[in-house]
Amino acid sequence: MKPAKSVIEIWLWGGPCQLETFDPKPDAGVDYNNGLGAIPTASKDMEIHEWLPKLAACADLFSVVRSMTHPHFGHETATYLMQTGRNPGGGETYPAIGAMLSMMKADQYHGDLPPFVILTQAKGRFSEVGFLGEKWAPLVTGGNPLAPRFIVDGIVPPGGLTHEQVDARFAALARIDGSAAHDEFDEAGEAARKVISGSAAKTFDLTLEPAKVRDRYGRTLIGQSCLAARRLVEYGVPYITINVPGWDSHKRHFETMKRKTADMDQAVSALLEDLKEKKLLDTTVVWMSGEFGRKPKIDREAPWNGGRNHWCRCFSALLAGGGFRGGCVVGKSNATTDGVAERPVSPVDFLGSICEMCGVDPDGPLPNPKGLKMSVLPKASEAGRLREIYA
Amino acid sequence: MKVSRRLFLGDAAALAALMAGGCAAPNGAADAAHGKAGPLEDADGMATDAVMARRMYLDICGRIPTVEESIRYEQSKDPAKREHLIDALLASRGFADYWSMRYCDILRVKSEFPINLWPNAVYVYHRRIRDFVKTDEPWSHFATALLCTEGSNFRVPEANFLRASAKRTPEGLSEVASLTFLGRATDEYADYFRRVSYKGTREWKEEIVWVEPGEGPSPADFAALLGGRLEDDFAATPVRRVLHWIFGEPKEGFVRPDEKALVKTFRDGGYRLKPLLRAVLLSDAYARGSVTGGFPRRRLDAEVLDDALYDIAGGLRDYQSIAPEPFTFLPPERRSILIEDGSIANAFLLLFGRPARDSGEMSERDNAVTAKQRLYLFNSGKLYERLARMTQRPEVQRKKPAERVNYLYRRFLSRGPSADERKTALSANLAPKDLAWCLLNTREFLYRC
Repeated sequence: MKPAKSVIEIWLWGGPCQLETFDPKPDAGVDYNNGLGAIPTASKDMEIHEWLPKLAACADLFSVVRSMTHPHFGHETATYLMQTGRNPGGGETYPAIGAMLSMMKADQYHGDLPPFVILTQAKGRFSEVGFLGEKWAPLVTGGNPLAPRFIVDGIVPPGGLTHEQVDARFAALARIDGSAAHDEFDEAGEAARKVISGSAAKTFDLTLEPAKVRDRYGRTLIGQSCLAARRLVEYGVPYITINVPGWDSHKRHFETMKRKTADMDQAVSALLEDLKEKKLLDTTVVWMSGEFGRKPKIDREAPWNGGRNHWCRCFSALLAGGGFRGGCVVGKSNATTDGVAERPVSPVDFLGSICEMCGVDPDGPLPNPKGLKMSVLPKASEAGRLREIYA
Repeated sequence: MKVSRRLFLGDAAALAALMAGGCAAPNGAADAAHGKAGPLEDADGMATDAVMARRMYLDICGRIPTVEESIRYEQSKDPAKREHLIDALLASRGFADYWSMRYCDILRVKSEFPINLWPNAVYVYHRRIRDFVKTDEPWSHFATALLCTEGSNFRVPEANFLRASAKRTPEGLSEVASLTFLGRATDEYADYFRRVSYKGTREWKEEIVWVEPGEGPSPADFAALLGGRLEDDFAATPVRRVLHWIFGEPKEGFVRPDEKALVKTFRDGGYRLKPLLRAVLLSDAYARGSVTGGFPRRRLDAEVLDDALYDIAGGLRDYQSIAPEPFTFLPPERRSILIEDGSIANAFLLLFGRPARDSGEMSERDNAVTAKQRLYLFNSGKLYERLARMTQRPEVQRKKPAERVNYLYRRFLSRGPSADERKTALSANLAPKDLAWCLLNTREFLYRC
């Protein structure tokens, strides 16, 4: 099995509820499931929440982990652990999985765009790149993929300039800033110009996609971001993160989740099917999770009025493609999802499995500018990586 | 002192008179003096007056000089003008603003992960650090206060030193204290911090920092060591930091001022920053040119670059930060060097390598130039809009073409163009906003040369 070339991370920012996504509990009672149920899927081993019919129809393409667990109830510490595989504390700030994997796969990538791209906003609570340094920091696109033109600030020359005008400006700049030295300033400038003049900028031009395809993903932030991510995979970018905000549903949980799961259902099912049709799914890992899940028992009293607070003891995540088998369920939660019943999966095992699929040994050394001796990830836990769904 | 401050920090009438003379280098003096190295240094490899003025404003106050300030310095016939400008700037508010940012980097002033001081403490701590810089408090005095103060970290600013560590164990505190005061992180002083305790209060996130009564050494004993057997390192560390901040890492072909002599200056000056900095800025090394003279260039700090773009082009800055909660929104005129909290960030500051303030190590600040940064400066739509708006201002529009070239050079690069450069700029027949774009994308703009 060849290692995966690219990873798409769909980060449901704030912590999506496991019950209304991949671990419904139709028998847990109305205090837990609000009277909502589960639906069968294309996989005989899996039922998911009734709000995800499109994903249910393509459940053979992805697997679900229902026993994610860690000890952090706060967004920032939980995000840090889910992203770096390490507990916060200690003198170092570690890089996120995206920075590590894109750095370690950079020598197999020959595009002009940076090897790590984030659609559209960075997570913001800690630096994704940690101690690896600005060189491995992600390109954070900004902009709005839903707009008629998805403008990634910096990639496309502004002001509607033609190629000739852009070239003339660069020629003038060369005359004004003539220097014999060839240093980091010139190297960075040349790399930047390659992005401007090459095909990289077209990657973000979603108008090149037929309207039918854009509709298929959904005209939503997550939908068009998934489409942009597929285009980035085609271009060869090793790691793409989609940060999807709005899952921190302390209040009005069910109204929020109904809306957000509908958008997510359409976007992610379209992404998986499209990757499959384009024969890219076998070489692309897709994973989706938040920093934690949500409290199984609904908080009906004020001020929550039907909300769900943070819950890290048991939550769900999705894994697909790149050598992961589809249609499987890993681990088991207890009757309400307030704890893991079988096969706990810690963030370090989850991330370690993704590394292995990408041909990166999680126990191998992590090159770093400080010259510190460290492995890509800490040791796997006793339960181990997700070998049961390796193809 | 009074005279020189007025001379450099400006009154309006004198300014108008200066501006009337245009923005070119005086009497073509710079042209005549150009060696092979171009307009930045003279034939002996020394920086020109204009370069020196920009350098001093950037290093002392973290900003580029205004058009007026730059012309005023270049035209001044005062033989001691360098010394006078240094003194005027060291006494200015800008010095306290900029250098407190540097000290906040090494003292880890940050509300959220992994330092978690929370906003209340960030603001009292920042104010205390700024007072230290502004009043030129002896470093020895400040160090003792940081190590020996107990109390609520929301109410007693100094208590935050022992609170602002990602690793709140005796070993972690030893690393933080030794890094701050001795320049190397080591856990060998952990015994001095075993009795440090933290106690929550009913106020959200407030903590009392205190030393439990009992046997064994305390942080105060560590402070005593700094004045005793560790004094050599204690006195040398601030000197090394200043040398790093001004000159970067040692490099071949450039001789930095002698560290030992500077340590003596620092001690003789009562462990104060200003006499030390003054000696560095008055050194011969500091006046070298950066083309053939070996003077190390430094890419402008993220915050300084952000402020420079605002000073030049005005316009919108996007200050929304999801941390700390509740979300932070700052007005566009807010100077980036004055943002107290290391957790408040925007995409621009992150792109240009602002330090995370996680460890207090100086290497956290990344002033490398990357392709992503140059893409932003080449192509950012927002930035281009701001440049276009700037060049539509009457003070630019009303000028004749040659004068406009002079003005734009002066505004971006703090110097007039050489005759050749003016000719090139005029012959290329560039629209003002395109010339502004070119100047913004020169090496000379992006670096302190």
